[in-house]
Amino acid sequence: MTLLMVGGGVAGLLLVGGFFAFMFRGLRESTIRNGLGHLQIFNAEHFRRDEVHVLDTGISDWQRVASNVRSADHVRGIAPRIEFYGMLSNGVKSSVFMGSAVDPDAERAMSFSPRLAAGRDLTESSSGEIEALVGTGVARSMSVKVGDGLTILSVTADGALNGIDVQIVGIVNTGFKDLDDRYLRITLPSAQRLLQSDRVTNLVVGLDKTENTDAVAAAFTPRLNGLSQEMTMKKWIDLAAYYKQVRTLFSGIFLFLGIIVFFMVLMASVNTLLMAMMERTREIGTMLAMGTPRPWIVALFMLEATITGVLGAAVGLIGGNLIGIALNASGLHLPPPPGLSTEMAFRVLHVPALMIGSSILVVVSLALASILPAVRASRLQIAEALAHV
Amino acid sequence: MNTTDAIVTVEQVTRRFPLDHNAVTALDNLTLAIDHGEFLAISGPSGSGKSTLLNLIGCIDKPTSGRILIEGTDTSRLSPSETSVLRREKIGFVFQTFNLIPVFTAAENVEYPLLVQGLSNSERRRRVAEALNNVGLSSRASHRPDLLSGGERQRVAIARAIVHRPAIVLADEPTANLDTRNATQLIDLMRDLNQSLGLTFIFSTHDQRLLEHTPRIVRLTDGRIVSDTISETSHVEVLAASVS
Repeated sequence: MTLLMVGGGVAGLLLVGGFFAFMFRGLRESTIRNGLGHLQIFNAEHFRRDEVHVLDTGISDWQRVASNVRSADHVRGIAPRIEFYGMLSNGVKSSVFMGSAVDPDAERAMSFSPRLAAGRDLTESSSGEIEALVGTGVARSMSVKVGDGLTILSVTADGALNGIDVQIVGIVNTGFKDLDDRYLRITLPSAQRLLQSDRVTNLVVGLDKTENTDAVAAAFTPRLNGLSQEMTMKKWIDLAAYYKQVRTLFSGIFLFLGIIVFFMVLMASVNTLLMAMMERTREIGTMLAMGTPRPWIVALFMLEATITGVLGAAVGLIGGNLIGIALNASGLHLPPPPGLSTEMAFRVLHVPALMIGSSILVVVSLALASILPAVRASRLQIAEALAHV
Repeated sequence: MNTTDAIVTVEQVTRRFPLDHNAVTALDNLTLAIDHGEFLAISGPSGSGKSTLLNLIGCIDKPTSGRILIEGTDTSRLSPSETSVLRREKIGFVFQTFNLIPVFTAAENVEYPLLVQGLSNSERRRRVAEALNNVGLSSRASHRPDLLSGGERQRVAIARAIVHRPAIVLADEPTANLDTRNATQLIDLMRDLNQSLGLTFIFSTHDQRLLEHTPRIVRLTDGRIVSDTISETSHVEVLAASVS
């Protein structure tokens, strides 16, 4: 019974923790691949003050900066970006947008493809038409579809008002409803024409693996020195506020679950071990009568509980992993969480640290749970224990 | 009885048990001396104080007043850990209900007192084999208690009681749970061990079969000795037999 309870606790922690780990990994990778990249390079001024005019804290000689870092190990590609704001209009209605200008080829080289609900991605158009992607919310509120035109207005780097006509080639679902309601994406040359500047806001660096982020960041530092502008670098985790919030929230939930499992195992084990002590009263009395030192009885109970904990953890590890494999094979999906617009796959990752941590948790719980019964057993009056029925 | 040769000396021992607002007197100012190598039965009706006296001699209970000396050592002056050591080294116990550890084999049960004494593995194995041979159970060494008959279990219990070569073996109603055949075999075994190894056996019993083989019988009633009889085969002869 204790074995099953301990096993159940470990399996539960593995499944919940494995699902959370899957969620964190999925959120991390989608955050990075949705365009955040692994590293972003900025003009250091960007974080020191607000811009007076658009791009006045942008990177001016960005091609040189890009070539400086492109040759570092693990770098898959570098994409220049411009972040800008303005108004868009369909001739009848106007709305605010949050614009992102990209080099489509550089983005695709790093697999930073927008999630298209309709149409296609941007291309380096030679036809003269300025292509644009808009969010699903923008398309709905402006009553436009693929092939329709919009006019976008923005303030140039000199502070003047400028406008261009764009043709919608695709509608994007970013996964975040608030962003879908404001999202606009055009090519870098189009934005530079609109904003009358050849600067970019930042350079987004994509790596082969997220795990290499710290190593590459360290390798970049000397390559960013000695340029005409002082550069600064941000890792994806520094910029992924939503990811950090989600992770903090779910880590808190997991900690709470861990505490519940700890106390559940502790209380139930104390009860079971006290009952075991009662059942074994005469046996303990016999051992004490034969001169067994009382600390041995304490050690015996604690050792037995610890062994039970180890066996229970093994049962939980096997059971939890098997259930995890079965759940992963079932292809289960969950409804979209708040703030997201797509349903989420249910998968359980097999995380070694989680297996070790949950096993240690239950073994420690059982060892602690055995203290009270062990001390009580060691204090039994021998004559009374031998007469126990 | 000359107390200078005594292995156990019980001096004016009283044991009272509190019960609600009163106290029950299990032993009342009892004095007794038991010599080395004796085969002594404590007899009497239920509630006469037999088990209480055995518990006190076995140092698993303490007298309300009076004192008990084991080989001259006043047990009332010993600390709990010293009492533990005394039990571990000087006393072997045989219980009415055998009290074998159910998850251990016969050999492991016999080995347990040696383990507590911290003997080496090879020494333990040698002594266990010897003790099981003494009780005729060498072939049952690897059996767990649930696979042994009542008589075999009690013989394992005796092997466990003698394996660490104690000075005294205390047996509380050792034949109470045995049929006549097994009881007779057990009595013969205890008597043989008493004679061959010179062990002092002190046991409580009502069993007439056992009393017939017992040279000295102490009868208790209401916590007092009402008779202390020694038959023709005295413990001196037992010791002589042991020496020869």
